[in-house]
Parts: sequence; structure tokens; C-alpha cells
Amino acid sequence: MAKILIPTPLRQFTRKQDSVTVHGATVGEALNALTSQYPDLRKHIFNDEGKVRSFVNVYLNDEDIRYLSKDATAAKDGDTISLVPSIAGGSAMVSPLTELPALSNDEILRYSRHLIIPEVGIEGQQKLKAAKVLLVGAGGLGAPLSLYLTAAGIGRIGIVDFDVVDFTNLQRQVIHFTSDVGRKKLDSAAEKMKAINPNLEVVRHEVALSSENALDILKDYDLVVDGTDNFPTRYLVNDACVLLGKPNVYGSIFRFEGQATVFAYDGGPCYRCLYPEPPPPGLVPSCAEGGVLGILPGTIGLIQATEAVKLILGIGEPLVGRLLLYDALTMRFRELKLRKNLDCPVCGPRPTITKLIDYHQFCGVPQPGAAAPVLETNVNEIDVLELKQKIDRGDDFVLIDVREPHEYKICSLPGARLIPLGEFPRHVGEFNPGSDIVIHCRSGVRSAKACAVLRQNGFQHVRNVAGGILAWSDKVDPSVPKY
Amino acid sequence: MIRIESEPWAAMVAHARHSYPNECCGAMLGSIVGDHKTVRVAMPLENAFEGAQATRYELRPEDLLAADKAARKRNMDLVGIYHSHPDCDAYFSKTDLENSCPWYSFVVLSIHKGAFHHANSWLPNLDQTEAVKEELIYGQDSDPHALKAVHA
Repeated sequence: MAKILIPTPLRQFTRKQDSVTVHGATVGEALNALTSQYPDLRKHIFNDEGKVRSFVNVYLNDEDIRYLSKDATAAKDGDTISLVPSIAGGSAMVSPLTELPALSNDEILRYSRHLIIPEVGIEGQQKLKAAKVLLVGAGGLGAPLSLYLTAAGIGRIGIVDFDVVDFTNLQRQVIHFTSDVGRKKLDSAAEKMKAINPNLEVVRHEVALSSENALDILKDYDLVVDGTDNFPTRYLVNDACVLLGKPNVYGSIFRFEGQATVFAYDGGPCYRCLYPEPPPPGLVPSCAEGGVLGILPGTIGLIQATEAVKLILGIGEPLVGRLLLYDALTMRFRELKLRKNLDCPVCGPRPTITKLIDYHQFCGVPQPGAAAPVLETNVNEIDVLELKQKIDRGDDFVLIDVREPHEYKICSLPGARLIPLGEFPRHVGEFNPGSDIVIHCRSGVRSAKACAVLRQNGFQHVRNVAGGILAWSDKVDPSVPKY
Repeated sequence: MIRIESEPWAAMVAHARHSYPNECCGAMLGSIVGDHKTVRVAMPLENAFEGAQATRYELRPEDLLAADKAARKRNMDLVGIYHSHPDCDAYFSKTDLENSCPWYSFVVLSIHKGAFHHANSWLPNLDQTEAVKEELIYGQDSDPHALKAVHA
């Protein structure tokens, strides 16, 4: 005979008794006996499948039966069974501040197509106006994000960027125009955004996001949209968002493929749950190294913008715990389930990372501005002017281009033999270790790796073309296009 | 209708303000007559959420069990659960709803920049798919409905 304590609201089903003593050798039997005696109680404790409802914990005396023998836990005379709900919650949502800003008549007209959607309405538009969104990066993803979030009526958009507009940006960063080349991206973007929507407040953060400034910058925003193209910043944004409890709307792009998800929101996983460790430096190419379809950041950036707006409005089903994969070539979307990693060092129950760390060291890449690691000493480099003289003199040497065939088609140096870096090790045997060998690529990074491979194989006269074909275009032959 | 007397109400607001910018949580003890609930004692409990508590709270079932025992000991009932929403309205969020239970009143206190702003009480349904607002009267030691009845 065990005694079952009845929670107050359920006593209406037990003829007001606050405890009921029932027969049953186990806790499961006792609960069944209780609900047979008081059938109206059944649906409050068991679901349609006859399982104890998800919010109900059953305690035998002071212990949760999940940690004993569950339903089969033996119940003795004098034991007390309690039904204890598991309760949690939280705002867990971009905070719409209590006093939402009013909309002017001009704004009501401007946003009328939003206002007539029941899920948005005046209150939703006010939430957008009250919202503060931080965009990390004003590049490929930042461009569509800033254009559409501005038009949608976000009240304050902060942008972190310290870059200037370059000709190679124009193919995809549609917020920047040809006439903006050479201008700060922040200034170029802010000008367009204000022109689209003068109600907007743009905050320019002209800094490289770092462990020193990230928390201070992020803390004033409701949510963060990650449009970065490098791993140190991505981990930094992730950790700062987790530490501050801000949702992180993530997107990334490569050639024809993109990914998007929402991290660090509503108990969902974070970037570290997905990728606990960064890839080895150099393995994953950036847009500058690998190329990207110009339209792709438009697609992915707008998925991020959509998620940001949904989070602010508190509508729909956020892209949490799901990694959306997009392939432009097959025009297919796929979804991967993401689970929170219970051993996650930053968002798990026992975090080992409780403050921001050195992300450049973590990712094994040099600090921007710091001296690049000495891959090549100057002795092992050759200047493009010297190379030109060497070619003109007709010196006996081997010139190797380690770029990809599609790059070779854009431009090439006279007499260079093309061996893409990935195939390079297989071709080492074709060269004489005593030969005078010069290797180049686009900027000098890949060719430095190829030089190292040859030197490890005992080659003695190997030199890397400093600055690659870009330097050749600058100093030797401006008719060679830069890309 | 749920009415929170001035003493527990002051304790709840103090707890919520003290916990700002994090969320706080606790149990409300009192009595239930029909659908009139009266809160006489607020019992602050620890926010056991492991992670950023600015937007989340979690009650330990053991603590809730202790609160229920404390209520029984004083001849009271466990009437409801309270928690705070720092810099956020006192709505019942999706997280609140999915981790709630239909047995109790859920009082949410909105704390704006460290000061109390407003509060609501919510009654979740059995399947935790929606919650309806419950009339909330706080800081009053007598029941205005009862008074009205007397005057009528």
C-alpha cells in the first residue's frame, strides 16, 4: 500500500482528497490503480498512448523513478509517490522591449504590405522597428541582408566591417556600386541603406571583431547575423553569442553551395556542437581562393534575413537544430538534423569555455596585421622583375604554375607549365633535383606550398614568385588581368 | 482569477529585480476556492538552467517537490509558478509553453531595465499547445471580487 500525493489542481478528480492510498507492488501498478479508481484523472497523467505525460516526473519518496527502476520500481507500505511536473521556460526570444515604438503615418504607408499580413500587423512592424540587428561583415552575405532588413523596417542595424570595396566584390556584393570601389564598405553600405529607408539607424563598427571588443559590440543587439568568411571570426561570433544568450543566424557559401541555420537559440545547438574543431588551416578555401557564384550569397543571405525577421516577430518555425543545405547546380535544398552536443565546450552543461579565447591561435591562422608565418625566406623568393629578366635572358630554368586549369585560362606567364597544386606531389619525380626551378600561383601562397614539397624532396634551387601573377600584372605586364 | 497578496508580491518583484538581467523563478503557495486562487507565500527557487539564464529558467523537480511539501505543511496549496522576463514582455513564450504543465498558474513578471514593468498570469492547456491569460490581481490583500459581491 503506497500513498500517492495528489497535486492541488487534480484533487477535483479525487473527490478533493490530497492523497490516495492504493494497492500495487510497483509504482506503475500503483498509478494504474489510482487512475482505475479515478478514471477522470487518467488523461491528466497519461497520454493517449498510455505513457506518463512528458511533463510529469514520478517520485518515490525523494527519488525520481527514472533513476530507480522506472515503472517497475517496487513500492512498499509507507512509501510516498509524488507527481512532480518538470517546469522550465524563458523569454528565449529576441526581446521586444516592453514599450514598442509607435509607427508614423509615413511608416504605416511604407509597411502597409506587412501590416495587412495577420502574422505581422502593427505590433509585428513595431517589433521590427524596436529590433537591433548586428551584421558581421558587409560582404557577399551582408549585402542582401542589409538591403532587405533595411527595407523590412528593422530599427537599428549595426555592421562590423573594416574593408574597402574592391572590383572583385562587385560580382556579388550588390550593395556596392562600381563608383564605390576604393570606399569603405561601411560608408558605401550605409549610404544605400539610408537611401532605401531613412527611418533606419545604421551603426558603423569599423573594427575587426576580436575577443577584446566582441562582447561589448554584441551586447547591444538582439540578434547577430554571421556573414563572415573566416573561421576565427565564426568561432568568435558563436562563442560570444552563446555567452551573451543572443541568437546567431548563420550562413556560409562556397562556389555553388550554401548552408544556413540558427545557432544558440532556444536551447538549440551552437556552431561548436556542429564543428567542435576548426578545419586545418588552408583546407577550406575562402571565396577569394575557391570562388563563388555571385548569386549564391543572395540566396543564402536572404534565408538568413528571413530567419532574423521570424525570430524578431516570434512567428513560424525557426531554423533551429536543422542545417539547411542548398545546391545551386541541382537546385535542391536538403536538411540535416543538428543536435546539441552535451559535451559542447561552450554551450554544453559543463562548459570549459566561459570567456572568449584567442581564435586565431585556436584556428591555427596568423593574426591579421601580424607578420605572416615565414613560409618562405626572402632567399627562397624571386621578385617578378627578376623573373622577367630571367625569361628575357633565356636562362635555363623550369617555370611551374600550380593554379587550376580554369585560372590558367584567365591568364598565364610565358613558358609556364601548369601542374595544379593538388596533383603536384605526383609530378615531383619528373624534375631534376639539381635544376633551377621557379614556381608561381595567383598570389604566392599555393606556390610556397609547392616549393616546400620540392625542398622536402631534396631540391636545392627552388624559388617562389613573390606576389604571384598579381604582382606580375602590377609590375611587369598590366595587360595580364587580375582576378 | 489569481490574486497575489502584497507580501508575496513584494518578494516576487524583489526576486525578479535582484536576478536581473537573468530570469528568476519560484513557487507560489496559497489557496484555491473554485477558480479563485490566492497567493499568500512566494517561495523563491533556484534557476537551475545550465547556460545563459538571461532568457531561460529551469526548476529542479526536487525543489518543486519541496515547495509542495512546504505548502502541505502549512495547510496551503501549490498554486502556481512565477518567473521573470528581463527586458521582455510578460507573454507566454514558446519555450514557456513547451516546458509548462497544465496544473498551475504561470505568472510572468516583465522586468524592464531592472525595474518591474508589468505581469501576466497564464494557464497552459493539457497538450501544452496554447495558454490562456488568467485575470491577475497583485499587491492586494483583499479580494475585490468578494468586495463587489458584498456591495451588490
